[in-house]
Amino acid sequence: MKILVGVAGLCLVFGFVWERVDIVRVGYQVERLKSEKVKLERERDQLRVKFSTLSAPDRIAKVATERLGMTPPQNGQVIVVQARTAEPSSPQAVPAPVRVASNQFFDGRR
Amino acid sequence: MAVPLSRGRRYITVVLLLFGFGVVLFRLVTLQVLQAAELTVKADRQHQKTVSFEGARGAIVDRREKVLAMNLEVPSVFGVPTALDSPAQTARALSSVLRVRSDELERKLRQDRGFVWLARKVDPEQGRRLEALQKEGIGVVMEGRRFYPKGPLLSHVLGFAGMDGEGLEGIERRYESYLRGERQVTVLQRDALGRTVFPKGLTAEQGPAPGHQLMLTIDEVIQYIAEKELAAAVEGAQAKSGMAIVMEPYSGELLALAVNPRFDPNALSSLTPDRWRNRALTDAYEPGSTMKAILAAAVIEEQVMKPDSLIYGEQGRMTIANTVIHDHEKLGWVSFAKVIQKSSNVGAAKAGIELGEERMHRYLQAFGFGERTEIDLPGEAGGLMKNPREWSRRTLASLSMGQEIGVTPIQMVTAVAAIANGGVLMKPYIVSEIRDAQGNVQERTLPHVKRRVISAKTADAVTKILEGVVKNGTGEKAAIDGFRVAGKTGTAQKIDRRTGRYSATKFVSSFVGYVPADNPKLAMIIIIDEPQGDAWGGTVAAPVFNRIGEQVLNYLGVSSGEPVKLAMAFAGF
Repeated sequence: MKILVGVAGLCLVFGFVWERVDIVRVGYQVERLKSEKVKLERERDQLRVKFSTLSAPDRIAKVATERLGMTPPQNGQVIVVQARTAEPSSPQAVPAPVRVASNQFFDGRR
Repeated sequence: MAVPLSRGRRYITVVLLLFGFGVVLFRLVTLQVLQAAELTVKADRQHQKTVSFEGARGAIVDRREKVLAMNLEVPSVFGVPTALDSPAQTARALSSVLRVRSDELERKLRQDRGFVWLARKVDPEQGRRLEALQKEGIGVVMEGRRFYPKGPLLSHVLGFAGMDGEGLEGIERRYESYLRGERQVTVLQRDALGRTVFPKGLTAEQGPAPGHQLMLTIDEVIQYIAEKELAAAVEGAQAKSGMAIVMEPYSGELLALAVNPRFDPNALSSLTPDRWRNRALTDAYEPGSTMKAILAAAVIEEQVMKPDSLIYGEQGRMTIANTVIHDHEKLGWVSFAKVIQKSSNVGAAKAGIELGEERMHRYLQAFGFGERTEIDLPGEAGGLMKNPREWSRRTLASLSMGQEIGVTPIQMVTAVAAIANGGVLMKPYIVSEIRDAQGNVQERTLPHVKRRVISAKTADAVTKILEGVVKNGTGEKAAIDGFRVAGKTGTAQKIDRRTGRYSATKFVSSFVGYVPADNPKLAMIIIIDEPQGDAWGGTVAAPVFNRIGEQVLNYLGVSSGEPVKLAMAFAGF
């Protein structure tokens, strides 16, 4: 009986110590994961800034004109059509703008 | 065989053991009871670390969620001079990474201090290279740095934040309390190696709340178009500066606000405050003939004249209070509408005199001159408007042609937007939504009507007159194919500071108008300050209106409503 009590007591002590050690271990793990999360968030933000920089209208216009040889549309090359999409369920037609890029000038110039 | 101890020896052993336990017990009581409070504080100091955190500054985005300003965590580099063996060697190693002169770094590292900043908020790449160096006595901490990914785009509106993340100019300053992240002091548990084990408590676990995000009414593409065309005009006219504002006339939302020359908020070090002042709000100018649009609204609303009322143009020359007023075109009998279309100073002065001092003053006030528009940007001026008690015999005539009054560009475009939208003065605004870090809308700005200034009928009549300015008046170069454009040109002489009189060589050329005139989507003002050579508003500013207007209408998908041309376009495919 005494031995059993002794063993049980020892188990309790070991259990307590193991629990404390495990808490510290999990604590380190939590900290490591948090650092990783912060690092990934930083990387995400850096990519967001990079994307935003690369998609700046200034840059797009420069690349389009200088590298790709594009030019801004001339007068009359973009025609906006005010289309009406009538659905059977909605008797009221909803106007939706549609842009049409034309490669022909109204006066016949190309 | 064990020899039994004598009684005396047993007593001595017991006494010694008791003494020993007594000493231990005394020490325990001393440590655990008597010095408990003091030692607990000492232990906490070693095990705990108090750290101050600040949530990231909120981002600023345009009306289509394009990022205009946001924070990034970047490395700041510090040194511990007392822990360095060779400051010169360390300085040389750091110099190439930090792109700072090695003698400057060495000077800092030789200071008799425990901590010194070497470079703050450097690029992330520099931080990575620095970590690879692994120099003893050199450390890196992460700090928030403000980035403006679009560079100079919208710089005068955005403003900028300082080194410590505080908003110093523009929206950054005006909305500082929303943008700034929450500041929080947290206690962390650390082990013998200094590693953080547990933040103490749940509150600390959540971290400080980031600042709010602002959504602007600005559209970055429209802003780009306005800045590009304004820059071309300023350069072409060899002007001192220029401004352009594009407004949605029914709501007062600003779609673009461009000031030239621009500046890059990412690189401020070499710039003076004069460069980043938002002159569209802070600087008053004499509007010149653009004021005739306001005069027309007042005169028609008060039924002083009708658009077809006849006025004698005095062949382009009239004397009022010993001052000769000239017109650039000799006119005889013309309609009031023609007076505005041809921008006749004589005709406008006559109409203004008919209107009278009281009504002139009342309408100028009603259209918002002499008071701030209350736009949500810092530094706005109210303009300069004399009290009628200070008016001279010439003032009424002067005001009719936009002299003796100082207005800001934002005031003028807001006033003309009131004519465009049918007679209602709106409060201009630039921040449409304030959201928390999770994206939930905390505040939303709705269009705010300040007052009705003129009736819809008068607004319609003035619009027809202003359409005439563009069709066959001074503003022909503002015309946009397929659209009805209404507007007014202005060419105002600047005051020569040296003589105190109007300069013969320095002008402010402007055009203010809206398009499409029958259902306006855009109200716009273009101002070119001190153009060289031909300085007429119709020559210098009106073409800018045309170019911006045409591109923006295309971008917004506004139909010109010309079915015949459409059929030809399809045939071209």
